[in-house]
Amino acid sequence: MARWEKILVAVDEGETSLRALRYVGRMTAAMTDLSICLLNIYPEPPPDFYTNGGVLAVYQAEKEKRADMIFAEAERVLLEAGIQPGLIERNTLLAAGKTISQMVLDVQREGNFGTVVVGKRGVSKAEEFLFGSISNALARHSSSFTTWVVG
Amino acid sequence: MVDWNRFPSHILPKLKSHYAVKSMRREPKLFGDTSNFTSIDYGDVIHVGDRYFLIVGYTKEGRFGIDEQPKQWVPKVYDLESGERKIAKLTFHETYKLTIGGLEVTCYRNPEKEAQVIELVKGNPFFMQGYSALDEAGNLVRVLEVVQGMRLDKYLENMGATHKEYFEIHCKGMLVNFLDSVRGISLLHAHGLKHGDIRRDHIYVDHEDGRFRWIDFDYDFYLPERPFALDLFGLGNVLLFILGRKNFRPSDILQDPELGPEVFAKLDTNDLSLVAADRVFNMQKIYPYIPDCLNDILLHFSAGTDVMYDSVDEFHDDLVACIDKI
Repeated sequence: MARWEKILVAVDEGETSLRALRYVGRMTAAMTDLSICLLNIYPEPPPDFYTNGGVLAVYQAEKEKRADMIFAEAERVLLEAGIQPGLIERNTLLAAGKTISQMVLDVQREGNFGTVVVGKRGVSKAEEFLFGSISNALARHSSSFTTWVVG
Repeated sequence: MVDWNRFPSHILPKLKSHYAVKSMRREPKLFGDTSNFTSIDYGDVIHVGDRYFLIVGYTKEGRFGIDEQPKQWVPKVYDLESGERKIAKLTFHETYKLTIGGLEVTCYRNPEKEAQVIELVKGNPFFMQGYSALDEAGNLVRVLEVVQGMRLDKYLENMGATHKEYFEIHCKGMLVNFLDSVRGISLLHAHGLKHGDIRRDHIYVDHEDGRFRWIDFDYDFYLPERPFALDLFGLGNVLLFILGRKNFRPSDILQDPELGPEVFAKLDTNDLSLVAADRVFNMQKIYPYIPDCLNDILLHFSAGTDVMYDSVDEFHDDLVACIDKI
């Protein structure tokens, strides 16, 4: 079992991510034996991307720039909660041939993170069927680590 | 006078003698570039790869209940070397929003994806066959064999005098054939490909061997977290049709003299489709003799479900187990 204090937080630009970060901040601010990795996964471009003249490197650069803004806001929330700056890392990845939840699980396994944190949007059954739910997917597959689903 | 010198000599015998050309009052045109497919007409010739094809008609498609419209980018063609009839799908990139139960999904026509599927399923009897080639402008044209068969929905409508007779005599055989179709979709997904437009009229029942064949793979959609969700949704709808031999909206049940208010009164919103509440998935409430195991599979696609299929393999395994029981 991985150390629970090694925390992976999946973030995007949504309000639910900020709620999850505030929760992590409140739960861990007093800890020194802690590491937090902020993870932003972005999907592959849509099917018509290349036929419309899209270039993957440009797409990735845009996504990484946006991820930097997400990380900056996320770090601000954590620092305000009292987390030391040296304890926070960043990671941005393209979900190449995989879903976002599969990528989060891959990063958890490779990084041996003991805790994975996600925000929960609250979706209807139809939305979950069509668009998926990362929090539900993580909760289903969290056999060797702990998942915090923050609503 | 037609200037035949514009056409290669080896195709002239078949071209000159074809009724499509003999009946024309204008000169046939030769198109090496099929980009502007609306300007390519009946009796014209397209040059794709190393072949010349005479346009002899257009395929049609309509959603259920809507008049069929000719698809100008999908002409019926005559191979001017082999003399075989084929279907050509010319490149047509299109993007539109599909609304399903109030949810919007972006859909695409994706010729490249269809070409990949055709390549993957070469020789697979459960899929339409063909090949892809480029025209002079680099457009990816798919040249398809004509499937000799009947649409699944039309095929089922002719089976059995009553639903009970259909269900007792024919339905299991249809389910066994459908399993092969499901395995076909699983094969696509294992290679990261989607069918893209799974509907009951996109399965043809082969006239000779009765096998189910998938057709039309050029639709694609963008659902990064659930890339195969619409294919799964489509399979659920096809299974519903195979079991019921038709789809039932609640109002259909009310108006059906054999079902009527008594059956209608038993329905609630949990019995309707999970994604689009336009049809009844709890088929057992309509036909009580449908076994639990089959109805349970359908209920995974109903609004009342707490468990959804994540993959076609899960759907397939449940169906296999159920067919073994009935």
